[in-house]
Amino acid sequence: MRSALLQKSVTDLTRRKARTAFAVLALAIAVASVGIFALPTLADRAMQREIAASRLADLTVDTAPLRLGPAQEAALAGLPNVDAFAARSVYATRVWVGDRRVKALVIGVPDFGSQTVDVVKITAGGVPGDGGVLSDVQNGRQGRLSVTPGNRIRVVTANGGTALLKVTGEGRNMSGGQMVVFESAVVLYAPPETVARLSGRTGMTSLEFRLRDPTRADATAAAVRDYLTANTAFTGFADLPTVRPPGDWPGKEVFNKFSQLLYVVTMLALLCALVLIGNTMTTLVGEQTREIGAMKAIGGTRRQIAGIFVRTALLLGAIGSIVGIALGLVLANVLVNFFGSTFFAISGGFGVDLPIVAASLLLGLLGPPLAALPAIRRGVRVPVREALETTGSITAGGADRVDGLLQRVRFLPRTAQIGVRSVGRRKRRSLATVFQIAFAVATLLAVLALGTSVSNLTHEGWRDHGWAIWLGSSLHPPLDARADALIHATPGVQAAEPIIVNDVDVQGEPGFVWATAPKTAFNYRLTDGRWYGPSDDRAKARVAVVESSIARTTGVHVGDTMTLYTASGRAPFRVIGIASNVQENGTVVFIPLATARRLLGAEGGVNGYWVQSTSQDHGAIDRLDTRLEDTLTAHGYQVATEVTYVGERDNVAQNRTLTTTITVLGFLIVAISMVGLISAITMSVLERTREIGILRCIGARGRDIRRIFTAEGLVLALLGWLVGIPLGYLLDHALVWLFGELVGIEIPFVFPWANVGYALLGTLVLAVLIMLVPVRRAVRFRPGDALRYA
Amino acid sequence: MASTLAEPEVRRPPAREPLIRLSRVEKVYRTGKLEYPALRGIDLTIGEGEIIAVVGPSGSGKTTILNMITGIDRPSAGEVVVDGRHLDAMSEEELAVWRGRNVGIVFQFFQLLPTLTAFENAVLPLDFSRTGSRAERAERARHNLGLVGLGDKLDHLPAELSGGEQQRVAIARALAADPRLVVGDEPTGNLDTHTAAEMFDLLERLNAEGKTVLYVTHDPGLAARAHRTVTIRDGLVVAE
Repeated sequence: MRSALLQKSVTDLTRRKARTAFAVLALAIAVASVGIFALPTLADRAMQREIAASRLADLTVDTAPLRLGPAQEAALAGLPNVDAFAARSVYATRVWVGDRRVKALVIGVPDFGSQTVDVVKITAGGVPGDGGVLSDVQNGRQGRLSVTPGNRIRVVTANGGTALLKVTGEGRNMSGGQMVVFESAVVLYAPPETVARLSGRTGMTSLEFRLRDPTRADATAAAVRDYLTANTAFTGFADLPTVRPPGDWPGKEVFNKFSQLLYVVTMLALLCALVLIGNTMTTLVGEQTREIGAMKAIGGTRRQIAGIFVRTALLLGAIGSIVGIALGLVLANVLVNFFGSTFFAISGGFGVDLPIVAASLLLGLLGPPLAALPAIRRGVRVPVREALETTGSITAGGADRVDGLLQRVRFLPRTAQIGVRSVGRRKRRSLATVFQIAFAVATLLAVLALGTSVSNLTHEGWRDHGWAIWLGSSLHPPLDARADALIHATPGVQAAEPIIVNDVDVQGEPGFVWATAPKTAFNYRLTDGRWYGPSDDRAKARVAVVESSIARTTGVHVGDTMTLYTASGRAPFRVIGIASNVQENGTVVFIPLATARRLLGAEGGVNGYWVQSTSQDHGAIDRLDTRLEDTLTAHGYQVATEVTYVGERDNVAQNRTLTTTITVLGFLIVAISMVGLISAITMSVLERTREIGILRCIGARGRDIRRIFTAEGLVLALLGWLVGIPLGYLLDHALVWLFGELVGIEIPFVFPWANVGYALLGTLVLAVLIMLVPVRRAVRFRPGDALRYA
Repeated sequence: MASTLAEPEVRRPPAREPLIRLSRVEKVYRTGKLEYPALRGIDLTIGEGEIIAVVGPSGSGKTTILNMITGIDRPSAGEVVVDGRHLDAMSEEELAVWRGRNVGIVFQFFQLLPTLTAFENAVLPLDFSRTGSRAERAERARHNLGLVGLGDKLDHLPAELSGGEQQRVAIARALAADPRLVVGDEPTGNLDTHTAAEMFDLLERLNAEGKTVLYVTHDPGLAARAHRTVTIRDGLVVAE
């Protein structure tokens, strides 16, 4: 049997079921949002499962095509620290998708049946024989290429012709899938013989290793180089060896940083919900002033009475926590599965992060009592006589400055005036409701603005590309003088600038080197120092211009010396300039072309060209792209192209997925604020039930009652929108700063004022819809029942 | 009922024609599983121009009878006819409109809207019924407030008025549409003796102008001032 005190705590919740339901719902949404903190852990678990199943490589090195016999492969597999080894051949080409040709990679897998590293899992169909291919599952999901077993794909061959390959099924591979998502390439898997026929070259170009101790990857890479140098026709790594740090997976850092952005949503949701809970408890305690007086009169102490309300809040918290934890589990797993499916084509499964569940429970339980403390403290301090004389209804009101202001609103119909003035009758509650709506408006304005900032930055980044086509190849073999002549002679080429691009390590941070001529098509924007000149190029000086993001990360300034670790080893460079451009997420170091040629042993050529077109028409650019590829491949060069306008379009679409996710989660705050508004209006209706009865007695029709409460709700919504504008402006600044801190990229601050108009429309429409139920309830009160309402 | 506002004619009660007729009226309140018969078969007629006091012990059904006559509650059985209108057959909307134009109700606890001034409370029923122009409604409200002696307190909020003044505002509100019937549920119950007497003088003046006045009271002195007293006990009329 329950004690009377506990029973009172329970009935405090059950006597006003609607109010309790709203408070529980708001708390549950906020507690559910804490589940966002579980994203990194759940995602990591799913990815580690996938890494183990697919045996992702710890070390990958790229070379010119190497013929490896069984003995050599066994020797490589037997090198110290090597647990497993696999060789692949990779052919960069184009495939026809409808009438267009798109970038593609055909990856040669020697034995689909016994793969030891970087497994290509067959998800549909069967193993491809000679002339057959598997299509990566991401090709279809990302909209690059949709095929079914039996279809044929036209692939451009190295000699400029085309080959028809039969699709035998679909495959899933972590590395390949990443190429589809982030390089916008179609990825196919085939036997090495097929790749050799397409590329005109026999041999493996990608060596992949699983290591016993991934922390010794550098030493293993050195051992691989030594072995290959001594035992094969190896001429050097085509690029810096790719090392996957232990526990890392492609995109992990970006995903974790993105999750941290979402934490802001969680914080706001919690704040919103606690304001609503505080509001609810204020009302609950306030309407029981007479009861508090009676309890004191019969011997209840302040502590005992306060304990009743604390228990009430704890009960509320317990119910809200349970519902919220369940919702949070769903939310976190839905998000993990969404990201896993979108970016990695894997199922995230279902996971539970127990520490986060515990934290959710703690917050959900303790939040309501803490939020209720001010109201409880006020309530139990009312003197006994004063408490007993309280009528419990809102007979007072309308006398202070705020009320005076509200009474000035006389241009509205009388019923609307009554609604407007009602806002001042429960000032604390009205203020709390206004702030909840303001949080929602502010969050939406800020996340929408963030999306615009990211989009603007993306466009700006692509506008730095003063070329229409980026033509890329390898340094082994490079694009030589003959290739240069062919490029310049291609109709439609206005100018073509030779470049070298390579992976580097910049003082421990991964980055890229872009080696260009002093007069370059790249639209650099210096914030400090200078660009390199013809004399630097002639002298093959080791000077560099660094993008500001990586300068900030590594702490280098103009005049400092920094160390670049390239495929050819370490090299010190003097920093002569800082650029505010953001390329490759701000990780590019620009050096003179001649310097790069000497450093990388590429005196005979380059691995890329920035090609300017005589026409800006997209069709003309597409045709130029085709001509360049055909010409070069016909002359034995293996090239891949990136068309600037296509890359920009795809990049913007990719970023939109991320920013849209943040915006959608921002609607959690909107949900809580709407719960707050419906709760406030419902409470207003219930508290003024007798008043509604009186109004009906003196001739008010249903529409008059509707107008009164709708006006009250719209005023709250409008005030919330007004307060939300400056809050949103500040929150936008905070998000932009946070984005810069997390991702290391400064994004431009924008605050589109058009969104303020959309927010107003959305707030008012939502408010009207949300109020339909409580207002209809008010209209349906029978006068007799309303007058008898207690 | 005139569609524009005019000064009320001074009229004496004519020969008694039933303005109000209750026939075998029953009312049962249901709360959860409990049923409570508040009225158990009431037959009552009230003529135009009468002052009627309804008396009886607490819980006898006095307020319920008023609620039947004003359409605030519906009978569980029987007929309620007021000024030829069958209230039991009207919808809630029709009842609200009818009340606004034909009945003035004065409550024990005044029940003024706290955020509206005395003037705004007094004009509210006319705003609901959209009777006359805005200027005409305002003139009527000012007249009624002058009638009750509050012509100089039009802009006062209820919180700035005494109990007696609030009840006067409530009476002014009840007179807004110049109703034929004025109903009070313990209209002086929350007032001191002197103010209560003043209030009843006002009701008598309204009756002298031809209005029918019906009120519930526990005060034998006030009951004695009515033309007729109806005694209710256990949901039945036991004396009149």
